[in-house]
Amino acid sequence: MSANRWFATGNFFSAYRDEQRIFATHLDRAIFATFLTALFVWPLCFEVSSKNMLVLDNILVAMVAIIGLNLVTGFAGLISIGHAAFVGVGAYTLALLARTIGDSHVLITHAWPLMLLGCGGMGALFGAFVGLPALRLKHLYLAIATLSFQMIFQWTINFLPMFNQGQTISIGRVFWFGGEVSRKDHYFFWYYVALTIVVVFGLAVRNLLRSRYGRSLVAVRDNDRAADAMGMHPGLTKVYAFALAGFFAGVAGGLHAYLYRGAGIESFTLQQSITYLAMAIVGGLGTLTGAFWGPAAIRLLDLQVENLVEWLTAIMPANMNLATALKPLTFGLVIVLFLMFEPRGIANWWRICRSYVKLWPFRY
Amino acid sequence: MNSLVVSDVTLAFGGLYALSDVNLTIQAGLITSIIGPNGAGKTSMLNCISGFYHPTRGAIRFGERVLTRASPHQVSSWGIARAFQNIELFRGMTVLDNLMLARHRKLDYSFWHAFIYMGRASRQEAVNRAFVEEIIDFMELEPYRKHIVGGLSYGVQKRVEVARALTLEPQLLLLDEPMAGMNIEEKEDMVRFVLDIQKERHTTVVLVEHDLGVVMDISDQIYVLDFGQLIGSGRPEEVARDPKVIEAYIGEN
Repeated sequence: MSANRWFATGNFFSAYRDEQRIFATHLDRAIFATFLTALFVWPLCFEVSSKNMLVLDNILVAMVAIIGLNLVTGFAGLISIGHAAFVGVGAYTLALLARTIGDSHVLITHAWPLMLLGCGGMGALFGAFVGLPALRLKHLYLAIATLSFQMIFQWTINFLPMFNQGQTISIGRVFWFGGEVSRKDHYFFWYYVALTIVVVFGLAVRNLLRSRYGRSLVAVRDNDRAADAMGMHPGLTKVYAFALAGFFAGVAGGLHAYLYRGAGIESFTLQQSITYLAMAIVGGLGTLTGAFWGPAAIRLLDLQVENLVEWLTAIMPANMNLATALKPLTFGLVIVLFLMFEPRGIANWWRICRSYVKLWPFRY
Repeated sequence: MNSLVVSDVTLAFGGLYALSDVNLTIQAGLITSIIGPNGAGKTSMLNCISGFYHPTRGAIRFGERVLTRASPHQVSSWGIARAFQNIELFRGMTVLDNLMLARHRKLDYSFWHAFIYMGRASRQEAVNRAFVEEIIDFMELEPYRKHIVGGLSYGVQKRVEVARALTLEPQLLLLDEPMAGMNIEEKEDMVRFVLDIQKERHTTVVLVEHDLGVVMDISDQIYVLDFGQLIGSGRPEEVARDPKVIEAYIGEN
């Protein structure tokens, strides 16, 4: 490495360890650190309403879920139409525990980081189990198998009294070092928790993807015959991909339950599964940054359309039905447009912008 | 080094016999070719050896190991690598990642190390990256290291395919038509690689190939298949004179 480590120019790798770095230069590292600090500090500097904070919390929780979905669908190439159900598994793990031992038991209010991991573990178990058909099935047939899990999940929750038949099961307020997290601070508190989880998981997955465990996922996507010849069991790799996705979904589910202080079936329906898929597609399948762009884009779009609908119904009350239909309509349109014109998602725009800035002022 | 013994192997798909009672011995350290007309069962034979098909009857042994019922990932971990006839690379990945995938079994750090990517994981990756570089150097793939495989030309893809098989550090390398569809220059290169693989890397090579000129020039031993049956075997000059082989495959003059 040459003297100036701040810029890539003139720096050549002389060891394979150098090549492994996530950030090639100090500049990249500094930008990333500044960005992270900004994310953590800005709520302290500005006045943010709880409603807006909830939107952000929602985006972050969805990001955790999409990291998982992107691993299984984007990297391993296995379409999962039951991702909301896996998120539901996480949420209902917590809810069921709350129902059994009381919603303000110490375990739930104080040991919540452990609970979140537990939700993830349960998600991974279910993921591995639902992934078992991958040993035999491929492509759309496998997708239908995941769809069947979604259906079974919804029916189970809706009909078993154990799960309150899909009605919300409440979960108590959590404690932090300063005591119980109050109603006023609730959304801010979970913003920080979710943000920390997204950052930690993001970095962990970034590491995973450049290791043998990440490469094997892409191998079974690109060519599972060759993957077999390279010495990995393609079926088990797929099951492991589902387990991994289940883990992230489970953690997202746990977060969701804590955030809304309860779990109800309406957040884990088939429609939500499709929304998750849309987020992964719009963000960019098979890219890590896609898992961050997708949820943000879709949720913000949702919000804008909602505002538009409100405004429209206010000025033209007669066309209320039409205005309500606007939301699914735009949603569908956005997916179709992305599939047609930018199948690599927003992550690809990000890539283009980055390479432009990197090369500036040269064209190539 | 181990030699591969195929004894009385029959492969049947219902009433269709792709291979019937084939006996082969592939001696360690030599280049053995399997030739024959289209549909003779050459690729089926390789599929049986590498575990993609399991023979209906008969046995395949590699040294002490019995390959008859083994799956491809087992076979590859026992030192038998294979380059496919129709390129079966990981198209969406770079040449480097394709080769690193072949080191999958050699990297044995745990899942948790992979998450943190320090210590063991990083160290092993670097060591194996160095080995991959050795193969890249050997197969002269330096210009393509970071290229996405799907975008490379056919001849280069074939070379990556062989390189990936070599990265497994096999004792026995199965090459399924490595020269098919190549021009003279690329063929000459590939022949040079095959000879180097045998001589420098001390690897046994099994070659399935239609280019008789190449086969006759570089093989130490040839087996001829026709309609799933072994119709001739021996050194190249013996096979070239064998009337049954001439009738079935080589033709007069």
